[in-house]
Amino acid sequence: MTRGAILTAITIGVPWAAALLTAGTRRQPRAIGFAAALASVTASSLLLRAVPAGESLKEALMLLYSCLTLGAMLALPRRDCTTGTISGILFLLGSTLLAYSTDDLRILLAAWVVSTVPFFFPQWFGARTWRPRLALLLSSGALALAVTLIAWHGHTMSIGGLARRSPGGIAVFGLLVAAVIFRKGICPAHAWVGDAAEGGALIPTALLLNGHFGAMLVARLIVPLFPYNARDLFPLLSYLALATALYVAVRALTENSPRRLLAYLALSQSACILAGLESRTVEGVTGALVHWYVVTASTMGLFAVLRLLEVRFGENLTASHHLGLAGHAPRLAVFFIVFGLALVGLPGTLSFCSQDLLIHGTLASHPQTGLLLPIATAMNAVTVFRLFVRLFLGRRRTGFTIMADALPRERWILTAGVLFVVLGGLFPNTIVTRWSAEAEAVEQAFYAPSRDSGESASRFLPSFVAGDLGRVRHSTIDTVLQLPGPDGDR
Amino acid sequence: MLVFVVLAPGVVFGVLALLWLVGWVPAERLVSGITGVTFSAAILALFVVLRKVIATGAVTVTFGNWFAVHDYHFPMVLMADRLSFPFLGMTVALVGLIGQFSATYLHREPGFFRFFLLLHLFAFGSLIAFAAGSFDLLVGGWEIVGITSVLLIAFFQYRTPPVENALRVFAVYRATDIGLLVGVFAMHHWAGTASFAGGFPRLSADRASTVCLLLLLAAAGKAAQVPFSGWLPRAMEGPTPSSAIFYGAISIHAGAYLLLRLQPMLAQSRLASAMVIAVGLVTAIYGTMSGRASADAKTSLAFASLTQVGVVFVEIGMGLKWIAVAHILGHATVRTLQFLRAPSMLHDYHQMHSAVGGELPATENRLEDWLPERIQLWLYRWALDRGHLDTFLDRLVIYPLMRISKFFARLDGMGLHPSLGRREAPASGCSAGQEGIG
Repeated sequence: MTRGAILTAITIGVPWAAALLTAGTRRQPRAIGFAAALASVTASSLLLRAVPAGESLKEALMLLYSCLTLGAMLALPRRDCTTGTISGILFLLGSTLLAYSTDDLRILLAAWVVSTVPFFFPQWFGARTWRPRLALLLSSGALALAVTLIAWHGHTMSIGGLARRSPGGIAVFGLLVAAVIFRKGICPAHAWVGDAAEGGALIPTALLLNGHFGAMLVARLIVPLFPYNARDLFPLLSYLALATALYVAVRALTENSPRRLLAYLALSQSACILAGLESRTVEGVTGALVHWYVVTASTMGLFAVLRLLEVRFGENLTASHHLGLAGHAPRLAVFFIVFGLALVGLPGTLSFCSQDLLIHGTLASHPQTGLLLPIATAMNAVTVFRLFVRLFLGRRRTGFTIMADALPRERWILTAGVLFVVLGGLFPNTIVTRWSAEAEAVEQAFYAPSRDSGESASRFLPSFVAGDLGRVRHSTIDTVLQLPGPDGDR
Repeated sequence: MLVFVVLAPGVVFGVLALLWLVGWVPAERLVSGITGVTFSAAILALFVVLRKVIATGAVTVTFGNWFAVHDYHFPMVLMADRLSFPFLGMTVALVGLIGQFSATYLHREPGFFRFFLLLHLFAFGSLIAFAAGSFDLLVGGWEIVGITSVLLIAFFQYRTPPVENALRVFAVYRATDIGLLVGVFAMHHWAGTASFAGGFPRLSADRASTVCLLLLLAAAGKAAQVPFSGWLPRAMEGPTPSSAIFYGAISIHAGAYLLLRLQPMLAQSRLASAMVIAVGLVTAIYGTMSGRASADAKTSLAFASLTQVGVVFVEIGMGLKWIAVAHILGHATVRTLQFLRAPSMLHDYHQMHSAVGGELPATENRLEDWLPERIQLWLYRWALDRGHLDTFLDRLVIYPLMRISKFFARLDGMGLHPSLGRREAPASGCSAGQEGIG
């Protein structure tokens, strides 16, 4: 076994072993979970160090997700720190890392399905409504069908071996896109995300959403395997993603449930990741990948703060009127507003860079629809601020006896999260340079020649749609503003 | 030295905020002392910068690119030239002054430390915006100024009106900042750069018009020009020192600075210049009329500020750059003094009224006396409701958006039993509460 394989086995195996240990011994779950997540973080960072920039997408994502789980272990309130929750989170960590790391389609499918298992049982992490279960089931079904079709056509199951071969053609491409739509919560399959956050276990649900399996499938599977189809048909997914970002941003303006509101914010911002990945500009793809980091860290911070508030002040928090919680928990208020504004492009945080790159990338490739991105972000900013104002400001409530602000354990881990988004924003070059190398690889995959499929995938579309896509693909902002090309006044 | 001037308040903010986050609470005297030392040192450093600006015309400090991807880069250039230096000087001097004033004014106020933290962050944002060598960096400073402004409006956090007004101001800022983001993107797209440190981006007249109009939207939002003026009286909910520094001096003039920076491009576009003049003129008339119908001192001063900023916009549109700069400096200084004097002035008036045994006689010969009474009444009602601008924005933008949002909520709820997917409503009742951003 190579060093890389051993480290990968540690990264995935240790959380699963720890999950079994926790479930079996039922003692010290947080300590066991923390140690297992720390082992994953260490092994993932060693893995990342070993690979060159440009080929480190999966290792970087593994490190990010391990760190996220480590943070969740510390931020988890004592009330939630049961053996079931900790073992479920560790189970989710192992399966997510397996999905990120594998090069085999069958293993990817297995990891994809396994990662959803805890969310099917209401007594574990499952929501009370049917929509999350249906969406996860449909996404797993679509992916399973796609993998079956690829196998049926006699192709290899290695992702690397299938690169640029459009295995299974447009049918498999469509199924993979459907899997992305259901898993990521893209319109019209978005409603399950709010339901999952509303009725499920909050921090595990945040971990599920922040696995970003949909974006991972796009970056690791759809673009490398179907570059030709992706070039022609991907704008549709991009438009859906931008429409989702705007739809959900508008939807959140009158939502009063903090859990649902945060879920919509997370969804709206993570839909921007898909739009950036599809922009086919290095700026847009880099912005999307950096935004992946931002959304993951910020939404996790927001969900954690909300859960900490819930255990202190009750689960009936609402944004319909002012609760004045800052008077009781000023530090939690500060963490909330910093994570919230860091999600929507506060200068001095990493999201300022990612939003800047995303807006440039999407506007350059889709001038008409790209304008939706800054509009959606502006609305999300208003929503974040509204939630902050309603939860934390207003008349100080007097019904509580002793209410602790952030405990030292929570304070340190949330401070680490704040430092990550702030230092990442002050010195973004390290992260941006690393991701721009990955972005160039993704962008090159879009323009790579097809091996098997010589024809444009747009032949499968009605002519008016294909024609429109072609026009959009080559349009620039000039077409919107009816002005001559970029060389006009140089 | 320029780097020190710009970064010092930011570093103080960062260190104090981080220490507070991990559990340290500093004494009032220490906070005000640090503020005094920081801004005194910054003023001294600015004298050194001034010598260089006089000798060379501009001081430029380049840090390379903040980040770069492919052809796109974000230049990190600080610049003090003849335009930015007066603004830098004004910011450092007035923020230092406000710091000293507030040490007494906010003594034993529960939010004392928060105020000073935000004051440092505001100074940092303003200095970044004024010393930026590119529009990219200017956007960063611009956004920081907006956020600190909003957080200080909500300073008295236990009262509902300030926090709801802060939300409204934030919404206006974010909506109009879209113009800035898209304008800067257009500059990058057409000129390949948004940097003005080494010469202004050159564009054709049509493109210059587009960029100028987009940036005018952002400038009008930040400077509370018509039709966005409704937020300014709402912003008076903040503490007096922050009203003085934001809406008497620096934040209210940031829009004018943006247009002054844009002057070479503005000169290319008659349409944009005409729009700047029109917006400024309408705002000046609106400000003076609404100000005359305002009943409280701070709101009257805010409208007086608005009138002057409107006139500054007219000057900028007419190409009178240096007159506009002189106007801004004079206005900012006088208005800051008036704002800071407002609370004690009211006290003095009350004493004076007691001494003379009643109200002072009203001044005669007002301009509006020349108008027929019906028109006077109509204008009074119009001015009292601040030109119906808030109602206009509510009906045109906010209410339709809220209706769409509620329609989406109904769509999302289809197929779900009302009891499913919803958490229990709080005892105090969600339905009776406020919604949206109105």
